[in-house]
Amino acid sequence: MQETKLQQHIPGIIKAASCFALVLLLSACAASTINISGSYPSPLVRKIPITVGVYYPEELRNFSFIEIDDYTGKDQYIINSGESQIELFNTVLPALFENVVMLEAPEAALSDSSIDAVFVPAIEEFQLGLPQKTKLKVYEIWMKYNMRLSNPDGEYIADWVMTAYGKAPNENFQSVDSGVKDAAVVAMRDLAASFTLGFSGIPEVNDWLRDNNHLP
Amino acid sequence: MKRFLHGSIFKAVAIFGLLMSLCACTTTEIDEFRQGETGIADHESIVILGRRQNNNYETEGSFVQCVANVVSSGSRPINVVGEQEFLDAMFPFFEPRTAPMRTGHLRELMDIDVAKSKMDEYGIEYIVWLDGITQRSEQAGSISCTIGPGGGGCFGFGTWQDDSNFEAEIWDMDTLETAGSISTDANGQSYMPALVVPIPLIARVEANACSGLGNQLKQFINGS
Repeated sequence: MQETKLQQHIPGIIKAASCFALVLLLSACAASTINISGSYPSPLVRKIPITVGVYYPEELRNFSFIEIDDYTGKDQYIINSGESQIELFNTVLPALFENVVMLEAPEAALSDSSIDAVFVPAIEEFQLGLPQKTKLKVYEIWMKYNMRLSNPDGEYIADWVMTAYGKAPNENFQSVDSGVKDAAVVAMRDLAASFTLGFSGIPEVNDWLRDNNHLP
Repeated sequence: MKRFLHGSIFKAVAIFGLLMSLCACTTTEIDEFRQGETGIADHESIVILGRRQNNNYETEGSFVQCVANVVSSGSRPINVVGEQEFLDAMFPFFEPRTAPMRTGHLRELMDIDVAKSKMDEYGIEYIVWLDGITQRSEQAGSISCTIGPGGGGCFGFGTWQDDSNFEAEIWDMDTLETAGSISTDANGQSYMPALVVPIPLIARVEANACSGLGNQLKQFINGS
């Protein structure tokens, strides 16, 4: 009687084992998703006495980079950094400017007379250096941004390119996930540092601040 | 029976002693170069920061933390502000791209009132820059492990050399000049014989470099 019951269960066990093997097989082929997260310190700088309207394009909000496996040609890592990019700008901009107004669209600045300028950051390039590919003992991340500052009516004030670089040592027993996250946080801090210290030094921005008596 | 036991114990002790002597083969050399008088009061602090400007390596945070632990403990301990806490508090002035590389840059930084007041708030008397890396070389040998229904085991021998080179540059925040520098060079050979079970005989090269550098740094800053 017991043998019959066992026999009845065999097809179920085989099915479960097959499903488990299939899931294992699929998970081995799937790309790893790395979500960049981190908190950023508020910069220690004097505020520029202006009100800036800020618009984050959809591409920045949902930015993700896909690293392709050189051998298989398939997706190897998917790095989502949009949320962290927004968190970074949300920390840096209120520390740099007297007032910051979030905009749903750049044109929305026209309806707010307090806004002096509209700032739109955009990410143009993202590169990843993995120790297994570069043969260096560090994880590296390089990013290229385009920053745009305009009048509330959309008239151009300045448009400039910024690059950010971050690396993190490849320590023993460290996962790729952790190495990439550490390098990304360093890169974002690098962006925040050079943006904060260099903003007033951009020639067109400096001219505009000077002409409008906005220099701190 | 008693003689046999004594013989076995003697052999075991001899093997253990041999293994320990192999394990301890690390040499550490420390050089100090003093450029000015030093000293620190109880209410003053130092900060130890890792240099991260080099292209193909960066000073590991764990080594910086290790040196900070040595300096802030034992006899005549010194207050050490945590590296990350300091970097966050002084953000964006001590990031890899913006950190002062020479004392001339430090003087320029101290002309910025917000940076100067934050530094004073922490009571920083000395900034110590650590730069260096531990490299592994001369790896040789091989170990193979097998497992079967009757059990498993490993057989073979592996060896490698670790070499730690670190330099600490000490900046005096009163004079805004370099007070001196301390360099450490530690190297040692590690062995891994495997007879059924691998026995790691690791030379504690980086740990020795850390304790040597930390103790020398503590003496240097205390002025004795």
